[in-house]
Amino acid sequence: MSRVARHLVIGGVAASAMLVAAACGPSGTGSSGEPAGEIAELDYYADQQGSQAWQQILDTCAEETGIRINRQTVPTDQLLPKVLKDASSRTLPDLLFTDNPTLQQIASTGALTPLTDYGISTDGYYESIIKAGSYENEVYGLAPGVNGLALIYNEDLLAEAGVEPPQTWDELTAAATELSGGGKYGLAFSAVPSEEGTWQFLPFFWSNGADLSKVDSPEAVAALRFVTGLVDSGAASKSVLNWNQNDVADQFVAGNAAMMINGSWNLARLDEEEDLNYGVVPIPSPRPGTPPVVALGGEVGAIPATGPERQEAAAKVLSCILAEENMLAWDEAHAYVPSKVEAAERFAQDNPAMRPFVTQVETARSRTAALGEQYPKVSQALATALQAALAGQQSPEEALRTAQEQAGRS
Amino acid sequence: MTVLAQQRTEPAAPTPHRRRRRGGYRLAALAFLLPALAYVVLFFGYPLVNNLSMSLRDYSVRSFYTGEAPFIGWDNYAAVLRHPLFGEAVFNTAVFTVGSIAFQFGIGLALALFFSKRFPAGGLLRSLLLLPWLLPLVVSGAVWRWMMDQDHGVINAALRALGLADGPTPWLTSPGWALPAVLIVNIWIGIPFNLVILHGGLRAVPESLYEAAALDGASAWQRFRHVTWPLLRPVTAVVLMLGLVYTIKVFDVIMVVTGGGPANATQTLTTWSYQLSFDGDFAFGQGAAVGNLLVLVATVFGLLYLRSARSSLAEGGS
Amino acid sequence: MTCTTRTGQWIRTAAGVVIVAVLLFPFYWMINASLQPSGSLLKPEPDWLPVDGTLAGYEKALSTQGGPLLDSLIVAGGTVAVSLLIAMPASYALAQLRFRGAQTIIFVLLIVQMIPGIVMANSLYAVFSSLALIDDYVGLILADSTATIPFAILVVRAFMLSIPRELSEAARVDGASYWRTFISIIVPVSRNAMVTAGLFSFLFAWADFLFAVTLTTGRSIEPITVGIYRFIGNQSADWNAVLATAVLASVPAAILLVIAQRYVVAGVTGGAIKE
Repeated sequence: MSRVARHLVIGGVAASAMLVAAACGPSGTGSSGEPAGEIAELDYYADQQGSQAWQQILDTCAEETGIRINRQTVPTDQLLPKVLKDASSRTLPDLLFTDNPTLQQIASTGALTPLTDYGISTDGYYESIIKAGSYENEVYGLAPGVNGLALIYNEDLLAEAGVEPPQTWDELTAAATELSGGGKYGLAFSAVPSEEGTWQFLPFFWSNGADLSKVDSPEAVAALRFVTGLVDSGAASKSVLNWNQNDVADQFVAGNAAMMINGSWNLARLDEEEDLNYGVVPIPSPRPGTPPVVALGGEVGAIPATGPERQEAAAKVLSCILAEENMLAWDEAHAYVPSKVEAAERFAQDNPAMRPFVTQVETARSRTAALGEQYPKVSQALATALQAALAGQQSPEEALRTAQEQAGRS
Repeated sequence: MTVLAQQRTEPAAPTPHRRRRRGGYRLAALAFLLPALAYVVLFFGYPLVNNLSMSLRDYSVRSFYTGEAPFIGWDNYAAVLRHPLFGEAVFNTAVFTVGSIAFQFGIGLALALFFSKRFPAGGLLRSLLLLPWLLPLVVSGAVWRWMMDQDHGVINAALRALGLADGPTPWLTSPGWALPAVLIVNIWIGIPFNLVILHGGLRAVPESLYEAAALDGASAWQRFRHVTWPLLRPVTAVVLMLGLVYTIKVFDVIMVVTGGGPANATQTLTTWSYQLSFDGDFAFGQGAAVGNLLVLVATVFGLLYLRSARSSLAEGGS
Repeated sequence: MTCTTRTGQWIRTAAGVVIVAVLLFPFYWMINASLQPSGSLLKPEPDWLPVDGTLAGYEKALSTQGGPLLDSLIVAGGTVAVSLLIAMPASYALAQLRFRGAQTIIFVLLIVQMIPGIVMANSLYAVFSSLALIDDYVGLILADSTATIPFAILVVRAFMLSIPRELSEAARVDGASYWRTFISIIVPVSRNAMVTAGLFSFLFAWADFLFAVTLTTGRSIEPITVGIYRFIGNQSADWNAVLATAVLASVPAAILLVIAQRYVVAGVTGGAIKE
């Protein structure tokens, strides 16, 4: 079937894509026949450490299921374009690991199959993780591990200045200001004009009670004013406009920043630095006593419609990856938080540095839960507002008002 | 033109003979062109049609899988033209393109003239200047980003050491500086291209012409103005035209260095086209429309180029 | 007289060294960074020399990037060959055998280069995946040639315009066929232009990322621009290794470029263009 489809595509006419769609719609999800002997898998764990850790999980599951896994890895930015190309030429992988906020986009095309069709259970997972993997009340993606942001601090620098790790916004401002000076900054974070910038801003935005459905609410403005204030007062460098999270970690390791907002995946790298003593606390919240709300990060596994046999085989492999011992192995190796509540609790006991991250997952929010497919658009508007405010081009109010207009346009 | 040329070489050729020769002439030209023509049709036809068709449709993420993309006429173009970012992107593209080409060409030509004289190690030094081209843009872009870092970048450190600046220059963090900053990076990348091609053009100018001009007592400037410049014209035209085409579609440099920021200060039509398609909006039709607007701009300049080429050919022919 | 010219020449060399030093500073800075632990360049006062150097990045690069390096050389070399084979005759036709329609062709060659790279890549992917040209040197070479063929034709043609047409007309009068004229007169005379076009074809193909990442899966071939992403993840970037890879990769390519340029210089001095 797909061979026919491909020949039609070379027919050279763009419209032929429609014929293709008519010729082979999503293959039936009802399982029948034997699972295929090999599957194609796609992920973006391109860097050496991540790649090796992931390969081990795949190897384990290939052995357990007896299914050969042809793995392909692409650089992060290339994953979605790749999936779209594959969707139109009917060459989708059988098992796909994608960043969770893009899952609904892909699911909305109809290219994915619900995981419940294969008897993959969603019991025991954090509610937010299931939400992140759902589209129109069906679960299309599940993750063996998730991540989130926390405040990582340099113990020596804080001790030197006599500063305690901050727990509230006021304490954060005070600490960061105290730790700044002499070419160094108290805090580093990322505010690049992309999803990465939004992701880093959301903990402030959500913790202050703002909502993505109205990004220019007073709570949202206050959150943006708080972040802008950190930069304006010199407690954080203006270069946050250009730093991605890798750069932020580099700044932290180089000792240019005493604290940083970053994810758990950095811990392995920080452990490598012998002279660096660091600690981790949850992201400070606006008021004492209220827990911070961070965004839920990490990749979810999904099964595209590639034919019953292959889908069945992919489901077997995915089940294996989601099995608790493999889940724990991956999370251990890659410093992610297990996505099942009980496993995460045990994981936190064994890995004290991960504890703040585990705590935060309990209250973490899925970025796409409220907005669904509309999220990327709002996210982009928010990142633009963040940039405009930090660059001093617009006041936080103006910037967010523009963002709301932009997000509202269809 | 063809007639003129024929007449120059064989003024007395009888008519029937000439006609036959011209027929063979055409055929020969076609035969030499055939592989190139076939390649262009095979490899560019489909993408071009594809992009046009996409820009006239409401093409969403869903369309990739279902193939359904309703035809909506010029709506995508209208949406793009009305978009608040359109004006800014056009302005940035214009500044970026004109600035890049002017400096790349000016510096490239100066260096080409400099290296056209023979001197010890000249060839080696000139070859070395191509080294930046061997670096993947993701790497050279990142190196420039570090160099331009406001607090710890080597450029600000050098300016400080030389006493040229009081405070740090906010290269990449101020909307006013970011465009000049990416412009500098792009000029740096483009210099070797201009240098090498113009240098090749200079080599093709016969030495004897300079000698004759020198005998006539022409100054260095006069020799450049009246010998070098006119003879360099075909090469100049092609360098500028290619410079335009390549600069207008520069993508990686801007993405790696500023990502289009801060606050869209370095958003050009090309980066914006990508953003419309892949970052947030997933408005592939609009992205394609912006791409086609760029093709249109290039078409206009292409026509201008052809006119200038035609007039220079006419000069050469008469 | 000789003495002053010689001094003048050395002054030129000195000036040349200064120019090269300024323009290549980012390259030096990269080498410097490749020899230092990640983040060292971010110190409040950057180290101008890699005093406490490390070769860790180079070890990582050497252990994984050999294959990608070779793949890139093959693809770039193949692109040069394909581009020149197609572009040389076409340029001859466009520059020397002037005929109606030539301008239109040049125009088309300019315009097609404006098609956004991502559109080219996506369209070629659709076609190539059905022709089994994914993960194939031939596929990648043909794709990279989309950037280099129009470029090579335009550049070579511009050079060929300056070849006096009497040269080939004379050969024709002597009874040589068009093909013979092309091979034995035009090509030798245009050697310089050919190498210039070849040089940049090589560089374009070498630096290409989009086609490389779209048309390969990493299972059998992986050009260096993609290979480098083994050190750049979304969650970590081992810049030390990235920069070391970039330095290592540029060495064989640089040697190749210098040899090519040598060759052209020799060709020009021994060639016919001066007449």
